[in-house]
Amino acid sequence: MTRTMTGRLSAAAAVIALSAGVALAHITPPVVLVSDRDVLIALLAGAQRFFVREIRLSGPERASIKQRMGFAPDEDFYRFYLGRDAGGRLVAATIFVTEFTLHGPVRVAVALGPDGRVRGATVVELTEETYPWVRPLLDQGFTRDYVGRDSRARFGLSDRITKAHLDSMPRFYGEIIASLIQRATLLFEVGVLKRGDVS
Amino acid sequence: MNGIYLSRLPLSAKVFCTLFLLGIGCGALAAVTQAATAVGLSPRDVQASLALEMPMMPLGHGQMSAEKEITLGQVSSGAKVWIRTPLLIQTSHTHLFGQTLIAGLLGLIFLFSSLREGTKALIVALPFVGTLIDIGGMWLTRFVSPSLALLVTAGGSLFALGYVLIAARSMWELWITREAHA
Repeated sequence: MTRTMTGRLSAAAAVIALSAGVALAHITPPVVLVSDRDVLIALLAGAQRFFVREIRLSGPERASIKQRMGFAPDEDFYRFYLGRDAGGRLVAATIFVTEFTLHGPVRVAVALGPDGRVRGATVVELTEETYPWVRPLLDQGFTRDYVGRDSRARFGLSDRITKAHLDSMPRFYGEIIASLIQRATLLFEVGVLKRGDVS
Repeated sequence: MNGIYLSRLPLSAKVFCTLFLLGIGCGALAAVTQAATAVGLSPRDVQASLALEMPMMPLGHGQMSAEKEITLGQVSSGAKVWIRTPLLIQTSHTHLFGQTLIAGLLGLIFLFSSLREGTKALIVALPFVGTLIDIGGMWLTRFVSPSLALLVTAGGSLFALGYVLIAARSMWELWITREAHA
């Protein structure tokens, strides 16, 4: 084998390997922080019976959500997990909402009370790249800041988080998670509460 | 190929090929482990991660909601990844580029094997075909039929088989045979 041939093969191999590295450096693997069942057990605490309610949004309902939040609800259906007491009264409802960012999906479970106010929220899934950005927020329990808010409330970052001198990426993902929580409140209000068919 | 065979490569080229094949092998093992833990390796696991989420209750035409009682035992307790369409697009483009480039480098080494052309052509095609079946199977599982999840497992297995044959034969020719050519 001549030196020229060795050089050409090495160059071809280097180019292909470099291209592979570039191609693979996009979305990092998912990180699932908690199973769906475990998050429902936590968020629907106090309920004795559990139900699944699946809803389709009508055209006006979709338009209403888009007008109020700028978010276009385009799923075929939305699923709520409802927790009721022994008498059948609604204790809480939980919905899983996802945003697909440049760095991969962020999935959040949001629990809502019968009045449409947030009872709790848990980040369920993100990616290896986003996890270190979201971790400082999770360590501070930042989703607790939204407990008690309904769809008409402000869902920006709270003062304690903005004063925590976080970098831009944690702030960015904090705002995304906050908007997902607001999205859940709006879906519950429009798709369940306003229809008036849930006790 | 053109009188150049793996067994005749200079030491530096043999070391390069060997370490590349070993590196890709380690990467493949890590990838299988990651797939097993994040999604699962059986067609059923693949189906659960890839198939479109279907309503738990049939929502008839014009029906706006439905409700039924469940136990929380019916909800998944596994921390499994559910691959939605945007993630499927991302996964497809990275894996199609990445796996095809890996298959290309494996094939580049294997072109200098002394096997007969027909056999070599068959083996060198395996990782490429496996990749297409693997990624194509993901889309078919999602949009055609969940039962086609079998293709994802089959495609991945074909890629692995191609790698094993290429690596084993190449190593043998690199370090064991002295003069072998078709």
